[in-house]
Amino acid sequence: MSADQIISQYPAEYAKFADALPGQSVAWLRLLRQDAAQQFSAHGFPSLREEAWRYTNVSAIEKKLFSPATSTEIGAIDIDSLNQHLLADAWSVVLVDGHFSASLSMLDGVPDSVTVMNMANALEQKAELLESYFSQAVAAKEHGFVAFNTAWFSDGLFLHVPAKQVLTRPIQILHVVTQAGFMANTRDIIVLEESAEAKVLETFVGCEEAYCSAAVMEVSLAQNADLTLYKLQMEGEKAYHFGGTYVKQARDSRFTHHNFAFGGLLARNDIHTDLNQAAECDLNGLYLGVKRQHIDNHTRINHLQPHAISHELYKGVLNQRAKGVFQGRVLVAEQAQKTDSMMNNRNLLLSDDAEVDTKPQLEIYADDVKCAHGVTVGQLDEQSIFYLQSRCVDKQTARNMLTFAFANEMVEKIKLADLHDQVLEQLLIRFPQVGIQHNWL
Amino acid sequence: MSTSAQEIDNLISQKYKEGFVTELEVDTFPPGLDEEVIAKLSAIKGEPEFMLDYRLKAFRHWQTMTEPNWAQLNITPIDYQSISYYSAPKKDSDKPQSLDEIDPELLETYKKLGIPLDEQERLAGVAVDAVFDSVSVATTFKGKLKDAGVIFCPISEALQEHPELVKQYLGTVVPSGDNFFAALNAAVFTDGSFVYIPKGVRCPMELSTYFRINAANTGQFERTLIIADEDSHVSYLEGCTAPMRDENQLHAAVVELVVMDNAEIKYSTVQNWYPGDENGVGGIYNFVTKRAECRGANSKVSWTQVETGSAITWKYPSCVLLGDNSIGEFYSVALTNNLQQADTGTKMIHVGKNTRSTIIAKGISAGRSQNTYRGLVKVGKAAIGARNYTQCDSLLVGDKCGAHTFPYVEVKQPSAQVEHEATTSKISEDQLFFCQQRGLSAEDAVSMIVNGFCKSVFKELPMEFAVEAQALLGISLEGSVG
Repeated sequence: MSADQIISQYPAEYAKFADALPGQSVAWLRLLRQDAAQQFSAHGFPSLREEAWRYTNVSAIEKKLFSPATSTEIGAIDIDSLNQHLLADAWSVVLVDGHFSASLSMLDGVPDSVTVMNMANALEQKAELLESYFSQAVAAKEHGFVAFNTAWFSDGLFLHVPAKQVLTRPIQILHVVTQAGFMANTRDIIVLEESAEAKVLETFVGCEEAYCSAAVMEVSLAQNADLTLYKLQMEGEKAYHFGGTYVKQARDSRFTHHNFAFGGLLARNDIHTDLNQAAECDLNGLYLGVKRQHIDNHTRINHLQPHAISHELYKGVLNQRAKGVFQGRVLVAEQAQKTDSMMNNRNLLLSDDAEVDTKPQLEIYADDVKCAHGVTVGQLDEQSIFYLQSRCVDKQTARNMLTFAFANEMVEKIKLADLHDQVLEQLLIRFPQVGIQHNWL
Repeated sequence: MSTSAQEIDNLISQKYKEGFVTELEVDTFPPGLDEEVIAKLSAIKGEPEFMLDYRLKAFRHWQTMTEPNWAQLNITPIDYQSISYYSAPKKDSDKPQSLDEIDPELLETYKKLGIPLDEQERLAGVAVDAVFDSVSVATTFKGKLKDAGVIFCPISEALQEHPELVKQYLGTVVPSGDNFFAALNAAVFTDGSFVYIPKGVRCPMELSTYFRINAANTGQFERTLIIADEDSHVSYLEGCTAPMRDENQLHAAVVELVVMDNAEIKYSTVQNWYPGDENGVGGIYNFVTKRAECRGANSKVSWTQVETGSAITWKYPSCVLLGDNSIGEFYSVALTNNLQQADTGTKMIHVGKNTRSTIIAKGISAGRSQNTYRGLVKVGKAAIGARNYTQCDSLLVGDKCGAHTFPYVEVKQPSAQVEHEATTSKISEDQLFFCQQRGLSAEDAVSMIVNGFCKSVFKELPMEFAVEAQALLGISLEGSVG
């Protein structure tokens, strides 16, 4: 890295807490953590000079020095407000300030063959099984956040679904940060064996003060497995959020992702997936930025083998001084013939100070492929506005309706009724909704 | 050699006088680059003092820079100290005396392109008679241009005759410290073209480097400066469809265009330098900085390029749209075969109100080549009503090549409309079968389909270029099917 890079103050701070981290007795993890800590000490958090980070400046995290919450000092939680984020019909794992809370979680009725437990526990009971999945989908050298996470994660979720098992209810992981200055570092591992099926929802919420939440998730899908992952990011207004989802898909597996990035002062989301033969992935995203929010979405789809299909649609609405970033990259390896890939990014800018930077990339080394991408940045269609005006809708309402419809397309894709309503509510909170009546929807 | 070196040293120690002309018997500088070499170069060209300062400033800045490495390119490291930075125009006695001495493969290509014999001699660098046809043609053209008030001459001549114009505009579009290769070019450029179109003049003919008398030896660091004053119009053609014989491996050219109110520049390039053999041995590195500044309202710049040559092509002809209602266009066909690499595209920087830009980029990769489109569309806060449409399509011929698209879109203005579309496909078996069933050979069929794929760009080329460009694509694709 560059010579003028500031030495991070984090390694020294976090070294103090090293003994309290889970999995100290597990030899392979100790090594991984050591390597990652070294990696982080050498390079720090990503800088603007790295191509994948050129639009997102995370130096504020370095300046603030967020410290980890040790499990004893967990702040007071407003149970009621927490409940409103929980889906009614789901198994839930609640992580408060990066630590599992058994009392808030609900795992009654999970089939015995399925493993759902917090990471600290899993490292004690299932260390051997974990070893073959840990740091497989993403390595610490990916970038500073992954290295940091690997070195100092405090807890997380381990989900293992055996072959041919279909989970009847979704599993919700609720991340809550309760106090200013905290950093919640969690690591999730999801494994679906052959032909297994699951739906998982990640929800991120937190207090109104500055804090940092960094979650890394590794997903391994065996042949013909099917995972639908929802992510609802509603961090506090001053929060920093990093979320990384790294997926390895075996042949014929399906991965569907719905990413709703609503909160945080600075939010960055990475989704990487490796597609094997005839695997499918479907990435959907909606980012809404208001005030001074900065929301960065980074996706990478690697077509490694023939016949895989990928679809990607990300939509952004930026208002006030918000800045949206979309970086999508599709790579088609030499042997990945018959690849079918479609990537789309649509953006609406609602104010003079809003900004969007988008970078959809195609990198293709095979010839018999169907690959396309499209980007638009613009305003609402004047003709549509006129049409509504001709139907006696005033201009402002017409605009609001069309903006809402633009975003709502992504909400409508949600297949869980409860979640759909939750997201819709969030959408309406964050929108100029004059003229839009709930009972229409 | 040693006496001539001494002579130069003597000259260097003198004060430079403006308009100072030398007739030295130096052929080539020994390899190496330092301030002394630049001073020598400047002295030989008899440049005014501001040029020497300009060159030295660029050189000092260049020394602090490192080679960029962000492109999707695999470049063998270049040793800048092993290059000779000045080589005098060849004397006729050193040149091949007739076409018999030229590589028969090159002649074969000329034949396919349908180039007349005397032109073949000229292109191959054969010594030609002073009364050779095109020279007299060029002279007639010169007269015509002079009547119109257009200045069209080598930049070294412009430095002698119009130093105030050069001083005013040189380096204002591409500053000497802009990038590594631009800085190197600013320090050591030997020649290039200078064009000035005065107010209200529509250039009476298409300007082509081909018709400039001493265009033959512009050297590897070419510098072009074109200024279109208010209400003027010019169409400029660069390069040639025929493969050029060339000894220099690194080409780092800089092209600057300045466009004033209501003026228009149309800049067309056909680049077909030696791409190296089938195994990627040899071949030209073509690292070019091209940029146009639309300074006036309603000004327009149109870049059209057909890139088929060079082992590595690395260039982004760009438009800075400063004036309100100014227009930038970029039409490109980049074809790579064998082990060629191309990383090319454009930058459209929207600054003024209601600025518009269009990008049509067609990439064709064959063999084991890599073809990358990299483009930036940037809409600033003040660019109210800016509009961009980008389309970049890639065509893959064969399964060992790569086609990549890296568009960057940065928008800070809500009323801007930016659209980007990209597709990648291959020539379908059905299309090929259809053509072959109608009696075309597989190779002709591919050539025809590729030409159809590129049609939207070719139609922007001046007539005679367009015809040649089509033939050129066919030849460049030879051996890629079957």
